[in-house]
Amino acid sequence: MRRWWRAGRNELSSRNLRVPFDRLAVTRGRGCEDHPGNVQLMLTHVIERILQALVVMLVMSALVFVGVYAIGNPIDVLIGPDVSQDIRLETIARYGLDRPLWEQYFTFLGRVLHGDFGRSFVFGMPVLELILSRLPATLELTVAAVVGAALIGIPTGIYAGYRPDSALAKTIMAISILGFSVPTFWIGLVLIMTFAVELQILPAGGRGDTAALFGIEWSFLTANGLSHMLLPAANLAFFKLALMTRLARAGTREVMLSDTVKFARAAGLSEWTVLRRHVLRLISIPLVTVFGLEFASTLAFAVVTETIFSWPGIGKLIIDSIQSLDRPVMVAYLMLVAFVFIMINFVVDLTYFALDPRLRKGRA
Amino acid sequence: MTDAPLLEVTDLSTHFFTRAGVVKAVDGVSFSLRRGEVMGLVGESGSGKSVTGFSIIGLIDPPGRVAAGSVKLEGREITGLPQEELRALRGKTVSMVFQDPLMTLNPVLTIGEQIRLALEAHQRVSAAEARRRAIEGLAQVRIPSPQATVDLYPHQLSGGMRQRVAIAIALLHRPKLIICDEPTTALDVSIQAEILAEMKELVAELGTALIWISHDLATVASIAQHVAVMRLGEIVEAGPMLDVLTRPQHPYTRALLDALPSRAEPGTYLLRGGGVPDAAPPPRLPAAEAEPAGDEAAPYFVLDGVSKRFEARTGALRAMAERLGLAKPPVSVLAVDSVSLTVRRGEALGLVGESGSGKSTLGRMAAGIYAPSAGTVRLSGRPVMSAGETPRKLTTRVQTIFQDPFASLDPRMRIGDSISEGPRAHGLVGKAEAEAYVRDWLGAVGLDPAFAGRYPHQFSGGQRQRVAIARALAMQPDLVICDEPVASLDVSIQAQILNLLMRLRSELGLTLIFISHDLSVVRHLCERVAVMYRGRIVEEGPAAEVYDRPQHDYTKRLLAAVPVLPAAAATGG
Repeated sequence: MRRWWRAGRNELSSRNLRVPFDRLAVTRGRGCEDHPGNVQLMLTHVIERILQALVVMLVMSALVFVGVYAIGNPIDVLIGPDVSQDIRLETIARYGLDRPLWEQYFTFLGRVLHGDFGRSFVFGMPVLELILSRLPATLELTVAAVVGAALIGIPTGIYAGYRPDSALAKTIMAISILGFSVPTFWIGLVLIMTFAVELQILPAGGRGDTAALFGIEWSFLTANGLSHMLLPAANLAFFKLALMTRLARAGTREVMLSDTVKFARAAGLSEWTVLRRHVLRLISIPLVTVFGLEFASTLAFAVVTETIFSWPGIGKLIIDSIQSLDRPVMVAYLMLVAFVFIMINFVVDLTYFALDPRLRKGRA
Repeated sequence: MTDAPLLEVTDLSTHFFTRAGVVKAVDGVSFSLRRGEVMGLVGESGSGKSVTGFSIIGLIDPPGRVAAGSVKLEGREITGLPQEELRALRGKTVSMVFQDPLMTLNPVLTIGEQIRLALEAHQRVSAAEARRRAIEGLAQVRIPSPQATVDLYPHQLSGGMRQRVAIAIALLHRPKLIICDEPTTALDVSIQAEILAEMKELVAELGTALIWISHDLATVASIAQHVAVMRLGEIVEAGPMLDVLTRPQHPYTRALLDALPSRAEPGTYLLRGGGVPDAAPPPRLPAAEAEPAGDEAAPYFVLDGVSKRFEARTGALRAMAERLGLAKPPVSVLAVDSVSLTVRRGEALGLVGESGSGKSTLGRMAAGIYAPSAGTVRLSGRPVMSAGETPRKLTTRVQTIFQDPFASLDPRMRIGDSISEGPRAHGLVGKAEAEAYVRDWLGAVGLDPAFAGRYPHQFSGGQRQRVAIARALAMQPDLVICDEPVASLDVSIQAQILNLLMRLRSELGLTLIFISHDLSVVRHLCERVAVMYRGRIVEEGPAAEVYDRPQHDYTKRLLAAVPVLPAAAATGG
């Protein structure tokens, strides 16, 4: 991570496909009007990524199916131990559990292609519907946590990198170490203790009132819902905040020492312009990567926070499903997680394209 | 009135207050500069010449600061001014150009945006006005098709074009003074000549004064009217350019001039001020002679019609997309185009050319680092590497020295161990003699033998380069392939390395393939020269002939672009 942006430059310079001087004018002119080339490059990239995504999803489905097959026997969960052998066999046949594994897998795959992930053993409703009903809760919590962490973490990190020797910067860095090392569940408990039990200004759990938007219930649309969101979002954000701060600081420190900044200062640019136009742009590339990864992993694994704050999101759903061996839910959830990661990485890639012109098109 | 100096620097001292103590980077420097005047500030690395430049413009980062002295710009004291007032001067009255435009320009902003930011630093401009001014500024520094260039990013321009953009930014507000810190060091010699000529014209046209900071006396001689020579934070000699360079008074100036290969008779040992003799390299070890001789009648080292084509590697899916017509096939570059070369035993062959000419690729094929795409490499008549083979070390008798040795030195290994590792593995020295052997080699490349216990990161770039040279030579090779081995070294150290290579050649019959962009070094060291241009060898022959009577147009252009020092009138040896 340390030499990220300079490494990119070296790579370019070592490639050294320099256009001879006399031919420069011609090639340059063409190079800049070559937007179709850009579009085509993008298109190729998108197609490549979609093909890759399909392969990953296929492999993922097989892994998940085999993995889940290996744990427990859902029949023991579905029916009581005192039912007759006939009913037992009949149930096994009804769920297709008597067929060989590969046959079960292909049956599953065929259904998935029709958008059917099966029915939950426990809830008795289609899995897809179940997950989608829980997803908005997790989604709003994740967005609040990750965006909040970025909005606070990046400016504080830039400040800490810009004035590394100031007392404030040192305090920020000390707190960020806490953010890294203190476990999430403990911070969650402390938050509840402080704000819900002692001060009694914020609720300890649940989603609170919701309001509908596009036919989906959201907490962030009501004041009561927002107050319920605040503690779990803060709890989720703490680690990310520390991460963003440290990353922004490291990037800023390095960029501030670079010749780019020296040259900008020598041209009379104000410190504010240097930070806003040069430093922020240059450190944004690694930040976007981390933002994307954190977003995906929070969406998928907000389990601990959702459990502590009884937030009815998918994290809580998956924990319940594992406990009750609700296979279809587990499989569908893991597939969804893979899908989310692929999509977010794809968006991150597109953002790279927007942020770093060096990736768009090589020299003529 | 107009005779009042534009810039007056008096007893300027810039110190760095580090934990290890105070470093007096600039220590009592005084000089003055009139309007429109060009002053060259020369010195070796660590002499404080760049820090002097930064001190004038008020850009010294902590822990450094101007400890004493005064800098007067148009009669106004500017040391100790508040940051905001200094900022108002920077870019408007004084501006600066740096060494490597690839590092100074922001890679993710277009040229137009960067120019607009520099404009907005001192005045309000509309977007359309900024664009018009940007195009105007680019045209002024002779950038062809400036309308297209404003929308490009730095990586889409060549090095010379990038440096022109940096100069355009420095000139935007018509400053009274521009400080150029090694502005042409990263450029090819022909681009350097263009930039020098353009700078001279611009300065004359606009009446801008210039401080030209450089380690290279020849470029300074071709632009400056006055020269100041710096050493260890002090100016040791200053005066009109011709006086300083033709009748140097200070021994240090004389030593600098004497160390230049361009001023010495080719093939002679270079003088290195003070008369301290170079440390001798260790004698040839008996174990080093064990190499089977091969066919004595065959030419020693032959590159037979070698080519190298680089292709972007693509994945399976990409290849599929290409076949479906969804993607363009990757560009391939023919870096070396069927080149044949023969090197006799004991000969020194110089390979010159600009960056991108393919000379380094050719050197890497000769060393077995790249397999050629076509052709064969032969050593003593035996083919050692042909097209399609996996790159590998040819033999320990062939050693390489490359420009940037940091990557090749194990960061967790003491450099003494790095140097002795090869010789010990091949039985050249035993464990007992290894230490003394390493110390001798460190001495021979001008390093303190006590450095053997240090790690690579404790050395400066030039010192690491010398470690790499010692490591290659400690293998007692018959053939050494050097790619810009002295490019990062100060002239006095460069002289010592050149002397060492010449000595090894005369005493041990070392064969040398010497790749360099520096024509004077090649002229000094090599009997034969091959000139590369766009992947081909355009001219080859005895050095004296190629330099004095170049046949090919490209060679003529290349030689004409080399800045020359004024003839030494009375250098006094």
